[in-house]
Amino acid sequence: MTETPACSVRGLSAAYGTTPVLRDVDLEVPRGVVLGVVGPNGAGKSTLLKAMLGLVPPLAGQVEFFGRPLSRVRARVGFMPQATTVDWDFPTTVRDVVTMGTYGFLGWLRRPGRVERERTGRALEQCGIADLARRQIGELSGGQRQRVFLARTLVSEPDLYLMDEPFAGVDARSQQAIVGVLHGLRQAGRTVVIVHHDLATVRDYCDHVALLNGTVVASGPVDAAFTPENVRRAYDVATADDPFLDVIG
Amino acid sequence: MSFLVGVVLLAVVTAVACALPGTFMVLRRSSMLVDGISHAVLPGIVLGYFLTRNPDSPWLLLGAALSGLLVVLGSEYLTRTGLIAGDAPQGLVFPALFSVGVILVSLEFSDVHLDTHTVLVGDLNLAGFRQLTVGGLDVGPAALYVMAGVAVLNGAFVWLFYPRLKLATFDPAFARSLGIPTGLLNTALMLLVAVTVTAAFNVAGAILVIALMVVPAASAFLLTKRLSRMIAVTLVIAVGGSFAGFWLAYFLDAPTSAGMAVFQGIVFAAVFVATQSRRTVPVGGAAAAR
Amino acid sequence: MNLFEFLGNHTYRMVFLGTAAIGLASGALGAFAYLRKRSLVSDVISHAALPGALGAFLVAVLLGLDGRRLALLLLGALLVSGLAVAASGHIARASKVRVDTAMAIVLTVFFGAGMLLMRVISDGPYPGKGGIQDYLFGNATVITRADLATIVAVAALAIGVMVVFWKEFSLRTFDPAHSAFLGFGRRVDGLMSVALVLAVVIGVKAVGLVLMVALVVTPAAAARQWTRRLPTMVALSALIGAMGGGLGTYVSVNLGAVPPGPVVVLVLFTVFVVSLLLAPGRSVGHRLVQRARVRRALRETA
Repeated sequence: MTETPACSVRGLSAAYGTTPVLRDVDLEVPRGVVLGVVGPNGAGKSTLLKAMLGLVPPLAGQVEFFGRPLSRVRARVGFMPQATTVDWDFPTTVRDVVTMGTYGFLGWLRRPGRVERERTGRALEQCGIADLARRQIGELSGGQRQRVFLARTLVSEPDLYLMDEPFAGVDARSQQAIVGVLHGLRQAGRTVVIVHHDLATVRDYCDHVALLNGTVVASGPVDAAFTPENVRRAYDVATADDPFLDVIG
Repeated sequence: MSFLVGVVLLAVVTAVACALPGTFMVLRRSSMLVDGISHAVLPGIVLGYFLTRNPDSPWLLLGAALSGLLVVLGSEYLTRTGLIAGDAPQGLVFPALFSVGVILVSLEFSDVHLDTHTVLVGDLNLAGFRQLTVGGLDVGPAALYVMAGVAVLNGAFVWLFYPRLKLATFDPAFARSLGIPTGLLNTALMLLVAVTVTAAFNVAGAILVIALMVVPAASAFLLTKRLSRMIAVTLVIAVGGSFAGFWLAYFLDAPTSAGMAVFQGIVFAAVFVATQSRRTVPVGGAAAAR
Repeated sequence: MNLFEFLGNHTYRMVFLGTAAIGLASGALGAFAYLRKRSLVSDVISHAALPGALGAFLVAVLLGLDGRRLALLLLGALLVSGLAVAASGHIARASKVRVDTAMAIVLTVFFGAGMLLMRVISDGPYPGKGGIQDYLFGNATVITRADLATIVAVAALAIGVMVVFWKEFSLRTFDPAHSAFLGFGRRVDGLMSVALVLAVVIGVKAVGLVLMVALVVTPAAAARQWTRRLPTMVALSALIGAMGGGLGTYVSVNLGAVPPGPVVVLVLFTVFVVSLLLAPGRSVGHRLVQRARVRRALRETA
């Protein structure tokens, strides 16, 4: 049985101004995997997620989710942007922010009701931040902020999660909590794409990997694609026994 | 309705109408855009007056609001080109539009009752002077009803779109990923700001209207941790401040809108000082912005 | 009236030289404000100049001095505008209020205070209070020889500060973090603010407090499109400012009823639009060509 992939990207190119960032990206994300998008700084990892979601206008290419264009299946796709992009002095509490994850699917005149409150409560529990629910978001640590963003993405219960650097600036405890959530999602048959920068943990967190450097250098199951040769090509590292390759195991 | 009651009501209603969109302008870091919009409505007002000959015409209001919107769209375009840095885009567009307005006034409409002084500072008492009579009954200043209409419009907008407006203000990229039309919401908000500024023009003028839009919201921003409370506190400060500022100016025989602006400034200063002691550690956001 | 008749006339020559000097100084210092992404601070400066000048007028009259002396009014404007810049900076640093909101608050509250002072002056029996209204919209038609001397002196002072501290200014502009590390953080910012305040306050009476922001922003934004180098940009920006000031007054005199301020602004805006669309190497036109090239390259590799 061939299932339509959770997401398929064909010939995607994107540019900021006149600087090309992505060239002709092809990527297939099978259902039920955790896929890590890995590559050096400036490889276009974040841009890839944003271009897939139409947040950066693509120059060329096609993106389909569950075999259909995004506008038809928006409720099945969840996005977790980088935590640095928002104003943490904004007058809002943790519970508020998580509830905002449901806003896109409320009718224009509806307010969050019982269903949304329950979902919010569950997402807060899952991420281990229920005790912080009444805090103003500026009072949180970096790891707690990431967990708030994660909970906001969980709350709409999508089938595919696109997460931009969920482990950036995160303490050990938050890291554990986030990993727990990722594994829970995989067990529940959901699909997760994370932009990731730590080569040492790719094998622990991900089943699939896409090595990116402007374009996809290699992609597939970790054992097949996450090889020293491919990593070297993606990172433009010349020598074979560079100590930095040891970390990938 | 007595003249004084009418003018006080006008001051209070204007403060409410301005404070509602003002909250979102402060949170969007678009406070200075209020300054740009409020100056750019001038050519629209002059042309609108030329065409309608009626300072209270809804067409004049809409035309002026559209010319105010030119600043928003123009500076958004300049920012998108990536060729103009920082806060310069609006500083490029609004003086040009304001200049067109001043030149139009001095070239073509020098006969028109459009006192250049009033353009900048407004005159509440003058605005309250033209009374509206319905069936021979004096029901208060005409400007009061225009302003009340704008306040209802702003209230309806914020109430209807509150969840989406909040999310689009807090995290536009996430809002777009949920399919919320952030661009459209933004333009609608800016259009309302422009309509409000135009309607408040006679009352507060182009510069003091900023005090009504931005200052109460900024005070409330320092005092609250939730958006709903921030809006509520903004409204309380706006109403209380305009009431107190009005009477202060009345007893000192000072210009009313200037008195209200200075009073709002004093309120902000008091809130700023009072909240300083609680902020021993600078919050990450403020430090990271530099 | 042709240019020679225009310059032959004493009054017009004063106005021409005055606005050109104003444009020169605000263009030069505007380049730094632009590169530091703080152009709109000039709007705060010009609005706060109103209570400054009016306050100085009141103090002078109460002391029995001639309240119309430009140098005196400028001194008041200088102090109060400097205070306004410092206040908006302090609000943004010490609280979670953003810099744009801090500027808007200071601008409108100081202006409100200015309007209160204006009422005091127009109600009181003060000699020489005529023409005080010029600050709002600007009136360059009455620049006396003494006024011109004051304007040129203050403009020279502003440019002098810039020249003397050129090294510090340019380092602070290009690499704020490194310059703070070297110990020229806030002090250089303060000096830059002082120089900008000097350049802006001399223009308020001639150009009007609303429009001074254009003399700071527009020449710099236009100059930026033509060059990548700081010295060239500052020089070009100053030149565009001076040209806009001079040409604007000439056109305004020929139009008759139009005050020079708005005409100067529109001349500068035209220069800016042309630069934005057509400057080689960095402009909208250049971008269109480049983007088409990238698309073509993508098609060919695909």
